Amino acid sequence: MRALADLHNHSCLSPCASLEESPSLIARLARERGLDLVALTDHNSALNCPAFAEACRREGIAPLFGIEASSIEEVHVVCLFGSVDEALDFGESLRGRLLDLPYDPEKLGDQVVVDADEGVLDLVGYYLGAALSIGFDELCAEAADRGAIVVPAHVDRPMFSVSSQLGFLPPGPYDAVEAMRPLPPELSRGFPVVSGSDSHYPEHVARRPFAVELPEGALDPSAAGSLLETLREALRSGRARPFWDSAARSGP
Amino acid sequence: MRISELASALGLETIQDGYEDREISTGYSSDLLSDVMANAKADGVLVTVQAHKNAVAVASLVGLAAIIVCNSRPIPDDMIEAARAERVAVLLSPESAFEVSGRLWTALRRP
Repeated sequence: MRALADLHNHSCLSPCASLEESPSLIARLARERGLDLVALTDHNSALNCPAFAEACRREGIAPLFGIEASSIEEVHVVCLFGSVDEALDFGESLRGRLLDLPYDPEKLGDQVVVDADEGVLDLVGYYLGAALSIGFDELCAEAADRGAIVVPAHVDRPMFSVSSQLGFLPPGPYDAVEAMRPLPPELSRGFPVVSGSDSHYPEHVARRPFAVELPEGALDPSAAGSLLETLREALRSGRARPFWDSAARSGP
Repeated sequence: MRISELASALGLETIQDGYEDREISTGYSSDLLSDVMANAKADGVLVTVQAHKNAVAVASLVGLAAIIVCNSRPIPDDMIEAARAERVAVLLSPESAFEVSGRLWTALRRP
């Protein structure tokens, strides 16, 4: 089956995202806009993944649980897990390694933990938009060791990317690289390329998904085997096709 | 030294002139925005190659008066718009951060 996937979305937990963008709104909009598989990837934290799991169950859409981690060089990396617990564990391991920047919610934005009914559970009091005290190579290796799908984010963007911060894509344990537009070979280096919405506002959800061929039934909650591993296999065997604008989605 | 005086003393091109012409007391040279957030001082100038609107957001957060973009890096329109909204000056130099920082240091210490 051909599935539409979007692995890069921020909820109201990310200080730079809209407060409207609850995990349940992402799940609902993803379904309404035709996605089959969607991941939540807040900056350096997975605390809204429990709500996202429940919201996706209600909407009948397949979820993955992730974090967009920020290396000390300020390179963003999407790290995806198959279960809420693995994502929460990874987030917990990052917490003590966030650079301790002064956090003023008035200026930087609130960081809201919610439940699947948009009830507020907590406000995170330390700044999640900060960089971690871990280098890019070490961060990717650690996420891969934990079994994550590792995707350097928006590698062709002029900020927070391997190209802007490192100047090139170093060798690493990546399953794919995420891009905003067709990539020159020196930035993809043979890795599969996916598009991603990097949504921060409701209108961004599903703006840049990618298509991927998956085995029949792979997205059913009762499917044998893990969706994460099925997706990893599909990415690595070249069965993903990025879309560079929404008009291309309806194409062949 | 005011921002306008600094621009002419260092031969900088003013890209965004809708700023408050404040007195500059210090500078900070860095391309890591989290480092700027943690260590730059208010009423200073940021010397950087990070020509994008997030640099403006950090400047505004810290209370920086101006951003000097080095190496003639192209400056996107959304950075100029953000700087205008925040009244942060955006100045452009063809020189490297090393050279701009040296000139800035000398200019701020001249009696």
